[in-house]
Amino acid sequence: MSQNIIEIEQLTKVFYTDEIETHALSGVHLTIGRGEYVAMSGPSGCGKSTLLSIVGLLDTPTAGRYMLNGKEVANLNFADRSRIRNQEIGFIFQSFNLIGDLTVAENVELPLTYRSGMPATERKKKVQEALERVNMAHRMRHYPAQLSGGQQQRVAVARALAGSPSILLADEPTGNLDSKNGEAVMKLLQELHAEGSTICMVTHDPRFAAHAERQIHLFDGKVVAEGEMTQLLAEV
Amino acid sequence: MTGTLLQDIRYSLRQLSKSPGFTLTAVMTLALGIGANAAIFTLVQGILLRSLPVKDPGQLYRVGDQDDCCVNGGYMNENGDFDLFSYDLYLHLRSSAPEFEQLAGMQSGQNSYSVRRGNAISKSLRAEYVTGNYFETLGIGPFMGRMLTENDDAAAATPVVVLSYEAWQSEFSGDGTMIGSTVTINGQALTVAGITPRGFFGDRISDRPPALWMPIQTEPLIAGPGTILHHQDSNWLYLLGRAKPGTNILALQSKLSIALRQWLATRPMYTDNGGSAELPKQHVVIVPGGGGIQNLQQETGTGLRMLMGLSAVVLLIACANIANLLLARGTARRSEISIRMALGAGRGRLIRQIITESILLSCIGGVASLAVAYAGSHMILSLAFPDARSMPIDGSPSLPVLGFAFLVSLVTGVLFGIAPAWLTSHAQPAEALRGSGGSGRSARDRSSLPQKVLVVVQVVLSLALLVSASLMSKSLANLEHMDFGIASSNRYVVHVDPAGAGYTMEKLPSLYHELESRFAAMPGVSGVGMALYSPLEGNNWGECVIPQGYPAPGPNSHCNSTWDRVNAHYLATIGVPMVRGREFTEQDTPTSLPVAMVNETFVKRFFPQGDPVGKHFGIDLPQYSSSFEIVGVFKDFKINNPREATRPVFMRPLTQYLTAYKEPPIIGGEVQSMFVNSLILRFNGPQQDVESLIRRTLAEVNPNLTVQDLRSLDAQVAGNFNQDRLIARLTTLFGILALVVASVGLYGVTSYFVARRTSEIGIRMALGATRNQVLQLIARGVVVQLGLGLLFGVPAAMLTGHFIVSQLYGVSAYDPVSLFSAAAVLAFCALVAGMIPARRAASIEPMQALRTE
Repeated sequence: MSQNIIEIEQLTKVFYTDEIETHALSGVHLTIGRGEYVAMSGPSGCGKSTLLSIVGLLDTPTAGRYMLNGKEVANLNFADRSRIRNQEIGFIFQSFNLIGDLTVAENVELPLTYRSGMPATERKKKVQEALERVNMAHRMRHYPAQLSGGQQQRVAVARALAGSPSILLADEPTGNLDSKNGEAVMKLLQELHAEGSTICMVTHDPRFAAHAERQIHLFDGKVVAEGEMTQLLAEV
Repeated sequence: MTGTLLQDIRYSLRQLSKSPGFTLTAVMTLALGIGANAAIFTLVQGILLRSLPVKDPGQLYRVGDQDDCCVNGGYMNENGDFDLFSYDLYLHLRSSAPEFEQLAGMQSGQNSYSVRRGNAISKSLRAEYVTGNYFETLGIGPFMGRMLTENDDAAAATPVVVLSYEAWQSEFSGDGTMIGSTVTINGQALTVAGITPRGFFGDRISDRPPALWMPIQTEPLIAGPGTILHHQDSNWLYLLGRAKPGTNILALQSKLSIALRQWLATRPMYTDNGGSAELPKQHVVIVPGGGGIQNLQQETGTGLRMLMGLSAVVLLIACANIANLLLARGTARRSEISIRMALGAGRGRLIRQIITESILLSCIGGVASLAVAYAGSHMILSLAFPDARSMPIDGSPSLPVLGFAFLVSLVTGVLFGIAPAWLTSHAQPAEALRGSGGSGRSARDRSSLPQKVLVVVQVVLSLALLVSASLMSKSLANLEHMDFGIASSNRYVVHVDPAGAGYTMEKLPSLYHELESRFAAMPGVSGVGMALYSPLEGNNWGECVIPQGYPAPGPNSHCNSTWDRVNAHYLATIGVPMVRGREFTEQDTPTSLPVAMVNETFVKRFFPQGDPVGKHFGIDLPQYSSSFEIVGVFKDFKINNPREATRPVFMRPLTQYLTAYKEPPIIGGEVQSMFVNSLILRFNGPQQDVESLIRRTLAEVNPNLTVQDLRSLDAQVAGNFNQDRLIARLTTLFGILALVVASVGLYGVTSYFVARRTSEIGIRMALGATRNQVLQLIARGVVVQLGLGLLFGVPAAMLTGHFIVSQLYGVSAYDPVSLFSAAAVLAFCALVAGMIPARRAASIEPMQALRTE
């Protein structure tokens, strides 16, 4: 098996509105190795969220090649993308995206319910483990509205972890949090990385980007700088 | 207070105009819901709640409470209730009850007469015999001329007549010289004494109110030998009195019951043959008479109350639907409400604002409903009373109907506004500061449970209505397709009035012969039937039958049989087969052996042993028990009420007059029965221009022999089910309305949930949900709501069936086919309505959904 979880070559994404073509991504090359912690940054509109959504199989590229765990996934149909997304990718969103009508435990269990053949006992076990991992097991019967922002994001991380994905994709995970809770979430991601998780995080905050091993800088839909944090810092 | 109310109204109007789609949907739903109720209420008000347009109707009381129309002899009801009275009994009761300022008698059954003025063509007009104090009792003065008085009740008085305003206008073009002029009624000259005020329609609501009122003393003059005025045992009058203020009605009722029994004890008819034993329980019931004689009310009351209930259910469904729409709007407006609260608005103030908006909405709906009510009530009236002429019920919304619509609008507005107002007003002011107004993804949707409950309620009520519609339609189909025992297609019934055209008894045989031969010669005619009355036209003559050699029957002997006079080959003309013996022929003449044909039920009742052909029977008294020889037995057919079991029926030849009778009442009946009214023409196939052909042929026989009524036998049969048809059609209409409204409700709620949950759907997709799983997620909600609705709807439908069971014929109130088919139709429509937004949800792109806030 390749050591790279993600291999992207010449990826482009064009949005068409009326007669206007918007090139969100133009020939992006990107590889993310197993166990890596990568931060993507760049100004607003540079294409980082588009890239993350394609990496997360929420969207499809206009052209280019995308290998996930050694399998070509750029042109899969909706159902296959759903299945791979469920099994291989864990999402952490800026606005937590917990479902208000479900309890904490039910939110965390949600991705597991989309997997066929997983017994309920196993799902409950994984939910328990994931919540314990983020220190939220004691709130499992609460509803999201009863939690603080930091707690909600920790539940969202537990939900991302529960399915044991190949990679965690975090889109501005601290964007809706105060600095204290932001730091706590970043610390949690670091701990997960230290335990072997592969993480790809979009952030525009250099303080949080600095937590990653490698940083990719996008501008106008292109990767304009890439390197290990120490190297980039040295270049700066 | 007024200032803030006006501010609330202005704001509400602005809010409604900002959402034209919502406003239009809500107003249309309300217009249909309130309009349906207002249309039914127009009838309820016009028939059930209305007082006679007379002076102080609250002072009027009727002696008697049931229909029992039209001429009866002997004890009337098994419980001893007396509702009809002979003229002699009326005079006795009147003299026994000085507590009445006036006690008037009026004919229970009204007849049509040939009325002619000068040399003009005769008109067929309905008339009613009344006692001279009739108009004084009602407190009605003349529009022109004078009303009847006690002086007109003398046998020697000049015969006069009072004309209704409506008939004066429609039949005599409002001719100002009418008063004092002479009109000929059934060949007798009467002077027009006066014209009643506009809007007066007599002592009861009817689809064909009388055009004329004649003094009761003119009855012998008009009826001739068939008069019953002085037959002490012929009960034919209703009594309506004006009680003196402060009269104890219960005491008066007891007093009149005693007077009734005293009078009955003097009459052999009520005392002979064990009749005395029945005397103690005979009584009268005195009921408020402000609404007049309540025959139509009693006939239609159950149906109208049922329709009122069903239309209220439609309105409830509409309310549930609009409450749902308002809940959805309320959730969308939580941000605005939060800001208002943050700025210091109290909860009560906010509830008032939201309730103002819902009441305003319902009032707009109420105004729009008037158009629905107007069209609806006219349609209902034409369906319920297709033969109505000058019916005193106006389909246009009256003041009470307007008041009703306004009241219903107010109640409706509060009803559908209160829950959304309460829920919406519970927004947290702090949410305003967070900017999302509580609609963020992590917030729970507090309105979702009430919305789902409202959908379940709609499904429950819709199922009840659909099952009712199915039951009523099946019942109607059973009635319309029952075996009436006659062939009705290509047959026409013509009603004529030989007496009105001046024919006497002696001239009748030649008239009948000429009519038969002329109509038989008409192109396309293959049979001519003549009868005293035709099948299922609503007429019935009855007599007590005594088989030869049997003693006089007792009061509870069930000796009654329907009878009719018919011509030769009459049964063949209406398609009724003989099962034994022969039908009448041309050889059954006035001078031949008096004969009769009987139906199978007659044989079972009176001649259960052996062959009835050749046996004899008679009517009323043992000395006449050998009057008629049975020559044939015909198959049972429905001659009167199609819902009832077939009665014993005997038929006599058209021209055989029995001279053996000695008693004036029996002679009177015999004479009257000689004047047949119905002609039935059988054509070879569908015929054009039947009416003009018939009119021309009648005119050739005698220009005074006018067509009183002409219709196909099919239409005459169908006319027996007008009320059933109306109820079935309206119930079906309400069922369809409920189905549409409930489906729209489910669609709206599901669409709303999909819109509310778009981001959630995005999250689920981001977490790996496939389109099918999203479809299942939404569909599950629809199925659960539908399932719960059906679960509670089945007992609700069965309960509804229990309430309408009196209106059903040949179908069980718990008919499983109706229940299953209604549930299937509802489920199908609800699933279609729910699946549209579910499919839309499944087609959402996850990225687009995640961007949705």
